[in-house]
Amino acid sequence: MFKRHKSLPSKRKREIFSQGATGSTLRNDLRNFHCLSQLVLSAGPVKSAPVSKHSKTAHFEIEILDAQTRKQICIVDKVMQTSTIHDVKQKFHKECPQWYPSQVGLQLEQGGPFLKDYIAIQSIAASSIVTLYFTDLGQQVSWTTVFLAEYTGPLLIYLLFYLRIPYIYDMKESSRRLRHPVVHLACLCHCIHYIRYLLETLFVHKVSAGHTPLKNLIKGCAFYWGFTSWIAYYINHPQYTPPSFGNRQVAVSAINFLICEAGNHFINVILAHPNHTGINACFPSPNYNPFTWMFFLVSCPNYTYEIGSWISFTIMTQTLPVGIFTLLMSIQMSLWAQKKHKIYLKKFSSYMHRKSAMIPFIL
Amino acid sequence: QTGALLEILHCAVGIVPSSVVLTSFQVMSRVFLIWAVTHSVKEVQSEDSVLLYVIAWTMTEIIRYSFYTFSLLNHLPYLIKWARYTLFIVLYPMGVSGELLTIYAALPFVRQAGLYSISLPNKYNFSFDYYAFLILIMISYIPIFPQLYFHMIHQRRKVLSHTEEHKKFD
Repeated sequence: MFKRHKSLPSKRKREIFSQGATGSTLRNDLRNFHCLSQLVLSAGPVKSAPVSKHSKTAHFEIEILDAQTRKQICIVDKVMQTSTIHDVKQKFHKECPQWYPSQVGLQLEQGGPFLKDYIAIQSIAASSIVTLYFTDLGQQVSWTTVFLAEYTGPLLIYLLFYLRIPYIYDMKESSRRLRHPVVHLACLCHCIHYIRYLLETLFVHKVSAGHTPLKNLIKGCAFYWGFTSWIAYYINHPQYTPPSFGNRQVAVSAINFLICEAGNHFINVILAHPNHTGINACFPSPNYNPFTWMFFLVSCPNYTYEIGSWISFTIMTQTLPVGIFTLLMSIQMSLWAQKKHKIYLKKFSSYMHRKSAMIPFIL
Repeated sequence: QTGALLEILHCAVGIVPSSVVLTSFQVMSRVFLIWAVTHSVKEVQSEDSVLLYVIAWTMTEIIRYSFYTFSLLNHLPYLIKWARYTLFIVLYPMGVSGELLTIYAALPFVRQAGLYSISLPNKYNFSFDYYAFLILIMISYIPIFPQLYFHMIHQRRKVLSHTEEHKKFD
């Protein structure tokens, strides 16, 4: 598709170099010698010899092959030295518009890991011709969209049940206005929880990996929406039975819920701080805020606080479906926490003294 | 059939290379049908549909296990392989219709006795309607059965054509 015309700019550059040398000062000579020595030290494989004479101003050429058929799809040329994979994907999209940059998965070798967007071409290039294998990752959506969809759904669904839209419950029973205050409190807590999630997604969270396949959106939404409708049905049912230990149970668990929500919020704010995101992250440290003192005990306190919130909600409403939901979420979150804990152990072993992943002293 | 639960364990541990999800699905559906439907609803046990699925399962199992045994002994008669990958065309729909008819026959008795159902109001605010659950299971056969059936047909084409080629080269 593209002719290899790199020999032309290389000739021109050699001319410029030679002109510079004739009328040059001592510094120029030294610089040229420096260039030459650099070239010698960083010599690539022999087959790319014509281009690597002057690594300072050379452009890379990226050959993109299909990962399964090994056929050449196109060549992205004139890639600057300071480019990253992200730039390559943008250029690739310009050549082949049917694949959006987020759909593109590039590997250095067949079956290898997909290269992240922030990786610089220079770090992976052995010569100025780089071969990358392309896989179509399928329809992708951004994580922000996923989170917004997942959290708006439960908010609205719960309110639908709370407001007793007709046809869900028997009209005669639901018209009796006697609703225990815990039902109102549960609605308030649930709404606080999801409104906080939405606001954090919009204003606080910094998502590192941009996109995820469409399938994950469907699965996540089905899980959250399905479970929310299930629990909302029982809590707002006309025949709802209030907790066995009465107001004391409700009050204690409500206060616990608010504490855990606040804790979760402060932890998320800390985690979103630029010091703690991306590749140069350092381990989050507790500060004057008492909620952050969880960091002394646990490496992923946001999950701890979240499980705490849901357990409080279960006890407050004393509803088995909520308990099942809490159990499933805890299992999922403990898996995530274990993964993160392992990453932290590898990276920051000095901070991880006597810390557990999610629940203090256990797990 | 309950002993077939061991098969899930074998897949989970890794002795057998099949997929855990697929195997557990099949075994659980059979175990469910036996314990939760046929055993629990005594009136159903004299139905013809029970005979139908028992015959289908028995024949399938005889052929399948002899297939595995002969494979382990490295002496697989072509007849067994052919039988395994061809007779399912008749036996699988037979078994499925037997299962569905049994569940359908059990429905009125479940409704009458309120079997395995919890209703509101109760202390833990939970309800479960076994009748609706059985109907959901029957409906779930509709998307799942064609998938499994065509998977088996695909396998058949792959395995039997492979044998044909082998024979030609021999």
